[in-house]
Amino acid sequence: MIVREVTVTNQAGVHTRPASMIVRTAARFKAEFLIEKDGYEINGKSIIGVMTLAAEQGATLTLLFEGADEEDAATAMEQLFAEGFGEVK
Amino acid sequence: MNDARDDIETGLRGQDRQATLEIGETQVLQGIGVSPGIAIGPVHLYARASFAIEHRELAEDEIEAEVEHFEWAVTRAEHNLGKILTLAREKLGDESVQIFDAQMLMLRDEALYQEVVHRIRNERYNADYAVMVVMTQHRQRVEASEDEYLRDRANDLQDVQDRLVMHLRRGKHLSTIDPDTIVVSEYLTAADLMLFSRRGILGCALDRGGATSHVSIMARALGIPAVVSLHGRTDIVRSNDLLIVDGLQGRVIVNPDEATLATYRTRQERYRRLLLEHEQLAPLPAETLDHHRVCLRANVEFIEELEVLEKHGAEGIGLLRTEVLLLMKGEITLEEEIQFENYKQVVQAVAPEPTTFRLLDLGGDKMLPVAHREDNPFLGWRGIRVLLDKPEILRPQVRAVLRASAFGPARLLLPMVTNIDELRRFRQFFDEIKRDLDQEGHPYDEAVALGIMVEVPAVALMADLFTQEVDFFSLGTNDLTQYTLAVDRGNDRVADLFQEIHPAVLRLIKRTIDAGDKRGIPVSLCGEMGGNPRFAPILVGLGIHELSASPAFLPEVKRVIRAIKRSEAVELATRALLASDADEVGTMLDQWLAAHGCGFDQFL
Repeated sequence: MIVREVTVTNQAGVHTRPASMIVRTAARFKAEFLIEKDGYEINGKSIIGVMTLAAEQGATLTLLFEGADEEDAATAMEQLFAEGFGEVK
Repeated sequence: MNDARDDIETGLRGQDRQATLEIGETQVLQGIGVSPGIAIGPVHLYARASFAIEHRELAEDEIEAEVEHFEWAVTRAEHNLGKILTLAREKLGDESVQIFDAQMLMLRDEALYQEVVHRIRNERYNADYAVMVVMTQHRQRVEASEDEYLRDRANDLQDVQDRLVMHLRRGKHLSTIDPDTIVVSEYLTAADLMLFSRRGILGCALDRGGATSHVSIMARALGIPAVVSLHGRTDIVRSNDLLIVDGLQGRVIVNPDEATLATYRTRQERYRRLLLEHEQLAPLPAETLDHHRVCLRANVEFIEELEVLEKHGAEGIGLLRTEVLLLMKGEITLEEEIQFENYKQVVQAVAPEPTTFRLLDLGGDKMLPVAHREDNPFLGWRGIRVLLDKPEILRPQVRAVLRASAFGPARLLLPMVTNIDELRRFRQFFDEIKRDLDQEGHPYDEAVALGIMVEVPAVALMADLFTQEVDFFSLGTNDLTQYTLAVDRGNDRVADLFQEIHPAVLRLIKRTIDAGDKRGIPVSLCGEMGGNPRFAPILVGLGIHELSASPAFLPEVKRVIRAIKRSEAVELATRALLASDADEVGTMLDQWLAAHGCGFDQFL
C-alpha cells in the first residue's frame, strides 16, 4: 500500500470537473484508491464520493493506493493535484 | 347540420372571456381549442408536481421489476446524456461538456447505482424514492461545505437525480395511463401525446402550448380533442373528476351538471355527423364555382397518418416533417437505411401523388435533444444553416430521399433558407450525392423537384431571384408570420399578435405567388393558415396553387373552396392587401363569408 499526502492547489477546489478527472484517472489503474479528508474516507473511483469530500483550495487529502500498479497510480494522481487540474491556482 | 353550426357559432360569439366562471357546481375553464371535437371522460392527471416523490413500500414480488425499471431509467438517462454530449462537444465550450461527462459518470457510480439497488431490495423502497434518499445524503455532505462554490456543486447532483426521476416516471406513467381518460397536464410533448393516443386517451387539456405548438399539431393529426393555454387553471382539476374537453370552443368543463352534460352529448353527436359529411367530400376536387382548381395536400408527421389521407381527400403530401417521422421511432435516427425504409414506405403509400420531404429542420422550437442553448433560437442555428454545417446529418437524409424516389414521386424541400447562396451550396451537394448514387448503382428519379420553404421575409421579398433556381416554393406561414410581425408563436402572452392575415404577411404571400406565376413555378402554402377554412377565400384570391394542412382540416377547406367563386375571391384579396391591419382584414373576411353564403365551421 502506498500513502501520499496532497494539497488542493486550484482556486475552485475539487468541484465537479476535477472530480471527474480524478475518477477517470483512477479508472486507468487496477489499484484500489481511497481518499481521506478529516477522517472521512471515500472510494476515489466514485465521482459522487469525490464530490462529497467538498475539498476546497488548501485542503490536505490523504491518498491510499493498493494493488499491482499502485506506484503508477500514485504518480499519476499526484501529478493531477500538482497541476491543479489544469485550472487557475 | 346548420343547427350544429349555428349552435357553435352562437357559442363562440357569446364566449365568456373570463378565465373561470361558475355554472352551479360546474367549473368552466377557457383556453384555446387546438384540435376539434368533444371528449367526455374521467381525468388522468399526468406528471403534475413532477418531482414530488412519494414513498411506497414494494410488495415482495415487485422488487425485481423495480430494480429492472431503475436499470431501464439509467440506460435511458445515459442515452440522453450521450446525445447531449455529442452536440455539446461541437457547439459548447469544454466546460459544459465536462459537466455532462461528469453526470454520465455519476449514473453508474457505485455511490448511486449500488446504493439505490440496495435500498430497493433491502428497504423495499420504490426506485424514485430510493434515488431521492441516496442523492439527498450525498447532497447534504456537499452542502455542508464552507466554500460557496463547492456548495453549489450540489446542483450537479440534483440534476442527476432529476434526470433519473424523470425517466423513472416517464416509463411508469406511460404504462399506467388508462384508456378512455382525459389527460390533464401542465405540458406534453408531441411524442407524449402520440404514446398516449396508443393507450386510447379521449382528449387532453394543457396549461401551456399554443395553436401552432407541436403538441397541438399532433393532437389534430391524431384526432384527439385538445384545449391548450389554460395557464394553470387546471389546478382545480382532480384525478377522476368528470371532464368535458371542448376543442371547438376551447373550453374545459369540470364536473358538468346533468343539463350541461346532455347538451355536450348532443354536440358530440352533431360533430360526428359533420365528420361524416366531410367524408363524402373526400373524392370531390377542390374547385371553385368558376372552375379554378386548388390542390389540397396533407402535412404529415408520422407513418400512422398515411391511413387517413384518402379519407380526408388529400392529394399527396405537401409537407412531410421528417424530424418528427424520424423521432417517432423513439429516438431521432440519422441512419440512411432506416430513413430509406421509412421514406420508401411513405412514397409507395402516397403514389401516384407526390411526397414532399422537408429536410430536417433542426433548431428553433423543434423537439430535438439539442442541448446547445441559444439566446434567440429562432434567429439562430436552424434549418438549412444546420444542415450545411453538418454534412453527416444532411448526406444520409438526401441519399435516403433520392433512393426512395425510385419507388414513387418525391419532392425535396429545404427549411429556413435565407440566402440564395445556401440554395446553391445545397445544389452542389445534391449533385455530388446523385453522382455517388450513380456510381454505386442506386436507382433514383432524376426529376426529383427541389423547392424551398418561404418562411424568412427576405426570401419572399426576393422570390423573383429564387424562381430562377428552384422548382417550387412552399410558404411556411407560421414562421413567416412570426418573423414578419416579430411575434414568438410559442409565447402565449403575445399569441393574439400572431396574425397570419396581417396585410404585411398577405403582401409577402402575394409577392411570392406572383414571382412563381411569372416563371410557372408552383407555390404551395403549408402553414397552419392553410388548414383554416376561414382564410381559404383570401388565399384562393391571392392565387395560391396548393394548400397543405393537417389532413383533418382539408375537408372543411375544400367545402369552402367549392362554395366560392375565384373572381370574387380575387376582389376580396385585393382589398385585404390594402387593409391597414389584421382586424380590418378579419372584419372584411367575415362580412364577405356571410355575404357569399359559404358559412363554414369557424371552430375548425
